[in-house]
This record gives sequence, structure tokens and C-alpha cells, in this order.
Amino acid sequence: MDNQEPILKAERLSKKYEDGGLALSDVNLTVKRGEVYSLLGANGAGKTTIIHLFLGLIPPTEGTCYIQGIDVFRNPLGAKKFISFVSENVMLYGNFTARQNLEFFARLGGWKNATKDACYRVLRRVSLHESAFERKLRNFSKGMRQKLGIAIAIMKDTPAILLDEPTSGLDPTAAQEFLDILQELKKEGKAVLMSTHDIFRAKDVGDRFGIMKEGRLIMEKSKEDLRHEDLGRIYDFYMKLEARSVSSALDLSRS
Amino acid sequence: MLKVIIKKEIVDTITSPKFLFTFLLCAILIFASVYTGISNYRTQQSEYEGAVALNKKSLESQPNYAMLAGYGTKINRKPQILSMISTGIEEAMGQAATVNISYDPTLVDSKFSSNPMSAVYGALDLTFIVKIVLSLFALLFTYDAIAGEKERGTLKLMLANSLPRHTLILGKAIGGYISLVIPLLIPLLLSLVFLMVFPDVSLTGADWLRLSLIFVIFFLYLSLFFTLGLFVSTRTGRSSTSFLILLFLWILFVTIIPKAAVMSAEQIHPIPTIHEITAKKEAFLRQANTEFMQQQLDFWKELEREGKNLSREEMLTKSRTWMEERNQKKTARVDEFNLNIERDFQAKKRQQQRLAVDFSRISPASALTFSTMSLARTGIDEYERFLNSLKTYKPIFSKWVNARIMRGLEAGQLAKVELETMPSFNYTPESLGPSIKRVLPDIGIMTALIVLFFIGAHISFLAYDAR
Repeated sequence: MDNQEPILKAERLSKKYEDGGLALSDVNLTVKRGEVYSLLGANGAGKTTIIHLFLGLIPPTEGTCYIQGIDVFRNPLGAKKFISFVSENVMLYGNFTARQNLEFFARLGGWKNATKDACYRVLRRVSLHESAFERKLRNFSKGMRQKLGIAIAIMKDTPAILLDEPTSGLDPTAAQEFLDILQELKKEGKAVLMSTHDIFRAKDVGDRFGIMKEGRLIMEKSKEDLRHEDLGRIYDFYMKLEARSVSSALDLSRS
Repeated sequence: MLKVIIKKEIVDTITSPKFLFTFLLCAILIFASVYTGISNYRTQQSEYEGAVALNKKSLESQPNYAMLAGYGTKINRKPQILSMISTGIEEAMGQAATVNISYDPTLVDSKFSSNPMSAVYGALDLTFIVKIVLSLFALLFTYDAIAGEKERGTLKLMLANSLPRHTLILGKAIGGYISLVIPLLIPLLLSLVFLMVFPDVSLTGADWLRLSLIFVIFFLYLSLFFTLGLFVSTRTGRSSTSFLILLFLWILFVTIIPKAAVMSAEQIHPIPTIHEITAKKEAFLRQANTEFMQQQLDFWKELEREGKNLSREEMLTKSRTWMEERNQKKTARVDEFNLNIERDFQAKKRQQQRLAVDFSRISPASALTFSTMSLARTGIDEYERFLNSLKTYKPIFSKWVNARIMRGLEAGQLAKVELETMPSFNYTPESLGPSIKRVLPDIGIMTALIVLFFIGAHISFLAYDAR
């Protein structure tokens, strides 16, 4: 596959729920190798719906999405080989140790010989304290569990990673540690699609930014575009837009 | 993938406090119930042997056949060895009956009549533990099988891999079932070893086969609740909702349906009360006795008139012959009346029972109760078989004792009782074949429900909203 070919691609993606509610409307986005794409927006804007569609958890009403060129809805199992996922609340299995949790998900991800040493290496990489490796997860803090979540994604070693609000509820130190790991993954060439509320941290790590409102991707900016603009101000501006102005804003952004 | 899921499911469960609690409670309850069952059986066995010896002594002490006819012989019901696993109606029904020439035999001396407190709480046998306690454990192991994974966020995480949903649900079902079976199987096997330690508790080959079938039914019953839990878990998004639904279904299946079935059958097919039946029988007996006495008076008057031409010996022979014939006739008439009334009552009762059993079979708890009782030979059918054989024995005993009385009268003396000539009461409990035939519908219903719930869980999970 060409280096410039997108690893993640959403094409005219729409999702309408059975009750008639529009969750997503005509979304197009791409994430390339070594790129972090931050999806910003208020609650219910459709960020998580995009992640769920990429995971094949729900079918789209229209359009499709591709992972490494594979249509998620035509070949879900084939597409999922190339993707890892970190959710907002990584609860995992409380009766398992950190290593056992990692080992289980590694095996699900296709690692037939997920050895103890291999697990320990990844746990060290995400800066989990050694004393926690063989401790049951029951008493882990959210930050520790989130580190384990990213360790699971690293262990699977896929070209694309999906992150759903990964820093939500983390203290500043834990959030920063998390973003440092993300920077490393970016350098390794991973394509990362991250939904977040945290504009400031998103700005630090992101290469491209999409602002979502009412199921629409109303603005896309690259890091270069933001050299002379403030992402926070842009975000506030779009968030304050009336619903009827969203379409015009979208047209404006496209033009 | 399947192996990975199964292994995870087993390890996750057996390392949980829930498993430890279940295992300990299962072990304590199973050992306690088997030990209590063995003790009860041994007590019943020694009581039975004592009662048989006492009856023999009592028969030997009867001075003549007339006394024996009135006193009768006491028939004791031999305790069933598998009552230690499934008590059935053993404790509620009497264990002994007196067979004499006058009354129809009825079983008396039940444990409940001698100790009413045991009737309040019932027996804590293995069937009860499986029916009530272990079925709840089965639900406890599955109510959060899918909904719990969703709440923990692990369902999304698992499905983010190339893991087919049908593999996931199958893996969870197999792993979960193995985890449920471990705390049950180990104490059960140990209790079987424990059973073999007692020399006076000897099981025959057929008994072992019956016991194995009872265990198969236990596992079917638990599998049913396990698959029901799995199914409900795939129909709900929250484990608390799943638990509430399952609790409601459990109450419905275990307590409400069986009771409602009996009540409905009573309404649809009412039967006369036992008092009505007894009153009818007693009225007929009184009438027959009055008629007999009248005929006797007429006969004596007639004989007095004829007696002028007869010698004393001829008169005595004529009166003995008349008495013997009329007595036999009266007894036969009463027996026939009782038999008809009994037959009619039994037919109505059977119809009501069949209806109640058929209705309640919708409930797996009833299916479990009826099938284990049939296999342990502690159920209603076995009780009725025994009662019927007593009723068959009564005319045989009456004929024998009446004939002996008459022979004594002919000889002009009250002859001493010769017990060697007394017809013996022989009862053979139901053989394995008919017992198996009787439990097949229950096994069929349980298996069908297991398959239905599992297919339901499978289909529901394929469309389950994992978000």
C-alpha cells in the first residue's frame, strides 16, 4: 500500500437511527500513516458514532468506511485485523492481573504466543509501574487502566488506532503521559483517529482536526492551517453557530 | 479464538469471589444433604426392620384366627434407597398399613404426622438443593454474561478484533458452563464416594443407573437456567435489568407455575374428598352388616323350625356352611362395592393428577421434581402402586383368615394361628424400564427448552447492540 494512501477512510458516511434521529450525515474523512486526526465536538455531535462505525458495531445508513482499503461492512473481520481500539472507560477484567488482561486481548488480536516477557515489555513501554504488572485490576486507578488500554492497542500492533475520549477523566499528569505515548505511536507510523473534548491536548498531538456538530463534520483544519489561528477560538465559534447555520458553515468550509 | 474465550471465561470466573462462595456453599449443601439423606435412610431401614419383627411377634401372639381377622397384619413399606437423593412424597405418605377383614388398608405413620415441623420446612434433599439453590447459582453465573461485558466496555474491545460474534457467544456459553459445573461436580462425585463408604447402603446396578439418570436430569435442569440466563443477558443492555427479569422468571418457574397447575387441575377435574369416600364405604358396610344380621336371624328361625327333624350334628354342619357362604358373600359384596367406588375415585384422581402434571411440566422445576421422584421411586405413582398391591392383598388375606375361622368352628374349637400358611404380601417396586419411560417427556421438555434458549441467545447476540 502506498504511504500516502489513507489507512482510515470514511466515505459519505451517514447514520440514521430507527427513531429517525440523525446521528451522522455525509461524513468524509481520511487518516494517513503517521497522522493523528482529532475529532472535536460537543456530546452527541457524532464523534463516537464514527468510531463505532469504523469498529463495525453499527451499520451505516449510507456510505461506508475502509480500514487499510478493506470495506468494514463487507469484510468486518478482515478489516478489524488492522485496527486497535481504546475506549473512554477501560474497565477490563477486575479478577485478572494487568498482564493477564493484556495477554487475553493480545491472543484475541492474533498473538498466539503472547509471552509474559512480551507483555512486560509493552507494560513498561506505557510506563505502568512494575509492581502493578501482576496485580489484579480491581484496585487500579483510571489512569492505570487507561495505560493498560493503550498497551492492548500497542500489543496488537495494527496500522490504525481508534481512540474514544481517551483522556477523559484523567488527571493532567496521566493525560500528558497518555499523549506522550500517542506521539511515539505517531512516529512509528500509526494512523490515529481520536475523538476528544480536550482541545488543548488535541492541539499538542494532532496533525489534523475535524469539528463536528449535529452529525456533520463542519470544519477540517491541518496543523499548518492553525499556525496563525487559534483552535480554541475556531471551536467556540462553530459551537455557537445556530443549527440552521451549520449547513452554510459546512458549505463555507468546503469552498 | 474459541479456546481463548473459553479459557478467559473459566479463569475469570474461578478467580472471582463469586466462584469461591458458590463452591463452598455447593460443597456444604451437597455434603449435608447427602449425609442427611444417608442417615435418614439408615434410620428408616432400621425402623422398617424393627416394625417387621414387631409385626411378626404380634401375629404370633394372636390366640386364634378370629382375633387375627380383627387385628389384621401390619404391612410396612420398605424405604427406597434413592430417597436419600430425592425424598419425594416419602415423608408425607404413611409407611405402614394394617390389612384386616373389615377396612380398606390405608397408609399411616408418616413422618409428617409424627413430626409436623418437618412438614413445615420439607426435606433438604439433593433435588431441593438443585431445584432452588443451584438454579439460582446458574442464573448468578449468566445474568451478566453479555450485559456485564457491555458495562465493563470489554465487549466493544473484544469485538474490535477479528472475532466472530457466534464464536464469542459459544465460547462464553461453554466457558461459563464449565465454571458452573466445577463447583457442582466435585462435591457430587465426592458425595458418591461418601455413599460407598457405608456398608449398609448398597446400591444395585439398576440403582446406580437410576442415580446416574437423576444426575443427568440435575445437569439438564441447571443447563436450562444457564441458557435462560444467557438468553436474557443478550436481550438486555444492563446486568441489573437482566437480573430482575431472571429473578421474576425464576419465581414464576419454581413456585408459581407448579402451584397454579395443581390449583387449575383441581378446578377443572374436581374429585370427591377422602371423607366422602370413607363415608360411602362405611354406610355400605353398615347396610351389609344389618342385612347379614337380619338374614342370620331368619336363618336361625328357619333352622329352629326344621331342627325338629335334624340331629344336632346336622344342624351344626348346616349352620356352619350357611355362615361360611354368607360371610364370604357379604365380604365379596362389600369388597366389590369398595373396589368400584375406589376404581371410580382413582380414575378421577388420576385424571386430575395427569392434568396437574401436564400443566406444571411447563415449569422446569416441576419436570425436575417429577422425573427425580420417578427415578428414585419416591413419587405418587410408586405410592399408588404400593397402595393398590395392599388392596389386592386384602381379599387374599380375608379369604384365608375366614376359611381358617370356619374350619375352627367346624372342628368346634378356636384353632391356634399357623403363620406358615398365611399368604405372604409381595411387592415389587417399579422396574427401570417404566420409570425411564415416565421421565422421557421431562427430559425432552428440558432439552427442548435448553436448545430454544441457546438458539435465542445466539440469534439475539448476533444483532446485539455492543455500544
